[in-house]
Amino acid sequence: MGSTPAAAAQRNAAVWPAGEPLSCWQCGADRASNLFCPSCAAIQPIPDDADYFQVLGVPRRLVQDREVLQQRFYELHRQWHPDRYQTGPQEARSASLRNTAAVNRAYSTLRDPVERGEYWLTLQGETLGARNNRVPPELADLVFEVQEKLEALRAARGGNGAAELERDVAAVHAELLQGQTALLEQLDANFARWDAGAAEPVTLNRELKATLSALAYLRRLICDVEKELET
Amino acid sequence: MERIFGIDLGTTNSLIAYSDDGTPRVIPDPDTGSPLLPSVVAFPSASEIVVGARAKALAATQPLTTISSVKRFMGLGMEHVTAADRAHYAFAEGDGIVRFHIHGREYMAPEISALILTELKHRAEAACGEEVRSVVITVPAYFNDSQRQATRDAGRLAGLDVLRLVNEPTAASLAYGLDKKNQGFIAVYDLGGGTFDISLLKLHEGIFEVLATNGDTRLGGDDIDHRIATLLLSQVPAPLRNDPEIVGHATAAAEAAKIRLTDADVTTMELHLGSVHVVRQLTRAEFDTLIAEIVERTLIPCRQALKDAGLAATDLDAVVLVGGSTRIPLVRRRVEEIFGRKPHTELDPEEVVALGAAVQAGVLSGGHRDMLLLDVVPLSLGIETMGGVMERIIERNTTIPTTVKQVFTTFVDNQTAVDFHVLQGERELAKNNRSLARFKLRGIQPQPAGLPRIEVTFMIDANGILNVTARDERTGREQSIDVKPSYGLDDAQIERMLEESIDHAEEDVTTRLLIEARNDADALLRATRKALDGSALGTDERAAIDAAIARLEAAMRATDYNRIRDLTDELNQATTPLAQRIMDASIKQALEQKRVEEIA
Repeated sequence: MGSTPAAAAQRNAAVWPAGEPLSCWQCGADRASNLFCPSCAAIQPIPDDADYFQVLGVPRRLVQDREVLQQRFYELHRQWHPDRYQTGPQEARSASLRNTAAVNRAYSTLRDPVERGEYWLTLQGETLGARNNRVPPELADLVFEVQEKLEALRAARGGNGAAELERDVAAVHAELLQGQTALLEQLDANFARWDAGAAEPVTLNRELKATLSALAYLRRLICDVEKELET
Repeated sequence: MERIFGIDLGTTNSLIAYSDDGTPRVIPDPDTGSPLLPSVVAFPSASEIVVGARAKALAATQPLTTISSVKRFMGLGMEHVTAADRAHYAFAEGDGIVRFHIHGREYMAPEISALILTELKHRAEAACGEEVRSVVITVPAYFNDSQRQATRDAGRLAGLDVLRLVNEPTAASLAYGLDKKNQGFIAVYDLGGGTFDISLLKLHEGIFEVLATNGDTRLGGDDIDHRIATLLLSQVPAPLRNDPEIVGHATAAAEAAKIRLTDADVTTMELHLGSVHVVRQLTRAEFDTLIAEIVERTLIPCRQALKDAGLAATDLDAVVLVGGSTRIPLVRRRVEEIFGRKPHTELDPEEVVALGAAVQAGVLSGGHRDMLLLDVVPLSLGIETMGGVMERIIERNTTIPTTVKQVFTTFVDNQTAVDFHVLQGERELAKNNRSLARFKLRGIQPQPAGLPRIEVTFMIDANGILNVTARDERTGREQSIDVKPSYGLDDAQIERMLEESIDHAEEDVTTRLLIEARNDADALLRATRKALDGSALGTDERAAIDAAIARLEAAMRATDYNRIRDLTDELNQATTPLAQRIMDASIKQALEQKRVEEIA
């Protein structure tokens, strides 16, 4: 692409913190960790160990602004997209593919609060693990009610009273959505506490995990209910 | 830089376009003036291949040696061929990839498509006077990996470098989006001859971000024709209903009636062939009832796409119609109802995809710097795991390019190879999804079970095509991997077919001769016009030259290069006296000047 070292420098400034020395595949110059070579402007591949926050060039924290993430997503695609390197050398094309794939994955993970939270846990060496499948205690009553109504609806399909049961399930669906909204607010509060270092990381992680598994469970339940309502 | 062309390889019609100074243009057929090339290939004899309108004319009388709608069979296996298909095509025996049997030879769908692409290539070469090599080809958004690969293979077989496959609705949005006023959420409803797509996009400062796509790759105008034809055939004596020639005529009559009903409220279909004479009236109301189910079927993917994008119909800022079948009044009415707004139809629904392909071609060659397309993978991708379940590794509507890494290991001691099966689709069980390919990781170091760690990278590129690479995690070495496409061609097959196609090299020579003849004629015409300007000529001489110019210009619009050569010579002779006089005058002038200079 017709970019200059000056333009590259401007982009680099916004994107990447300086790190260990690396050399440019095209001109061999030391490019540090810049993703556009400061001397020949060639696109460079994102390192394997970059985390999603680094890929998008946003602060490493749980609270994120969706608008900002989207802005970064668009900006990086404008610089790195394979369409821009179609007629360039093989190394540039493959760096462009690799970088845009990394941007896509980072963006789709960070823009969703639940996935962001789960990703955060993996960065701390933790996972939701089996907790993911357990009924969250605070939702036990609601979950029980939903399962019961779904069963009844499935049994009554095609017979009398199905329409009424369907209305019942639809009402529960609305309730579930409310529950989800409340949990998402709770997640936001968790995120803010984590970022502010409001308690010991061990405690914060435990709370984060509890909210996340409740949300993950609820999402699956909502999905089941919607599937049933569609048929 | 070399020009990149945009091609819409459609089920019913195909087009080629290019971008000039940022404006996309379709290239018309020099004989008919229409940019639409019917996607029909006919084989009147074992040595003769006809493409386009002439082939379409043969479809009714020679149905089994004429292939229409070949796109429906791209990337499919023989097990996907239906009983209805068998009434229209002569298929080869056996299973595996779909093959047609014509004059004792077998043809695969990409080979037939390659003939259509070659015809478009020749058209563009004649029109632009340059070789066509690099192209962007559009595909239905809902095409799976095999169908995309088959399209790319068709391009390779036609001697083209397919730089990018672009989804048809997305291409259409590019053509509409040239007008920068378009911002916000748009829906593209694309009902073509054989496929249906719905795509929802977010337009933001020149970025075209696809949020969700859905569709049906076996739903389109062909199905509508089929229903009308069935109606007509019900009046034909039962033993003749499956006669390919009668079916061919009925289908042609059905298509014509459908087109007439776009404007008319009632039309009459007639079928006369041998002893069969059928006349049937069809009203718009009856037509609407007949196709209502087909139109409703397109609305299911629309609702799913809205849901996947997290949008309500009221969030949309615009709806765009693409594909010839969207001319049908009932389709327009239903789309308007479901999206709650009047759809855009400013651009010709049959040209808009090709125009968009040309815009994307412009982007790839460095133009339209402010425009960028971010598309998605239409179907989830996964691998078959224990119990025949598909484990999803890439979800549908993920923005491409995208990569996912998966680690494989061995189950028994000293195992040196690992197999895995890649599928595409939304169903839980592997057998209900489409098989893409089987992979074999070979040359694994003999070790206790579970110890080897082979990291496999699944990458879906900007064409929506899967690329698989593998690496030994411990040594970091590339791991060799064999691919067996389920319904595709491997590289060796393509090479062999390309070698066979050298037989067709003669055709390419013909094209080159035509281009050269046209270029020479063009140069002579320009020189003649310049000379005529301001020259005093006798009336007879002038009339002779004008007549020769008219004849040559007519010949240049056709494709007979010998005739162009002959008429170029004729014009040359007619203008010889004029050229002589101009020459004499300039020599005289030169001499006079010299004399002036000598004096001075």
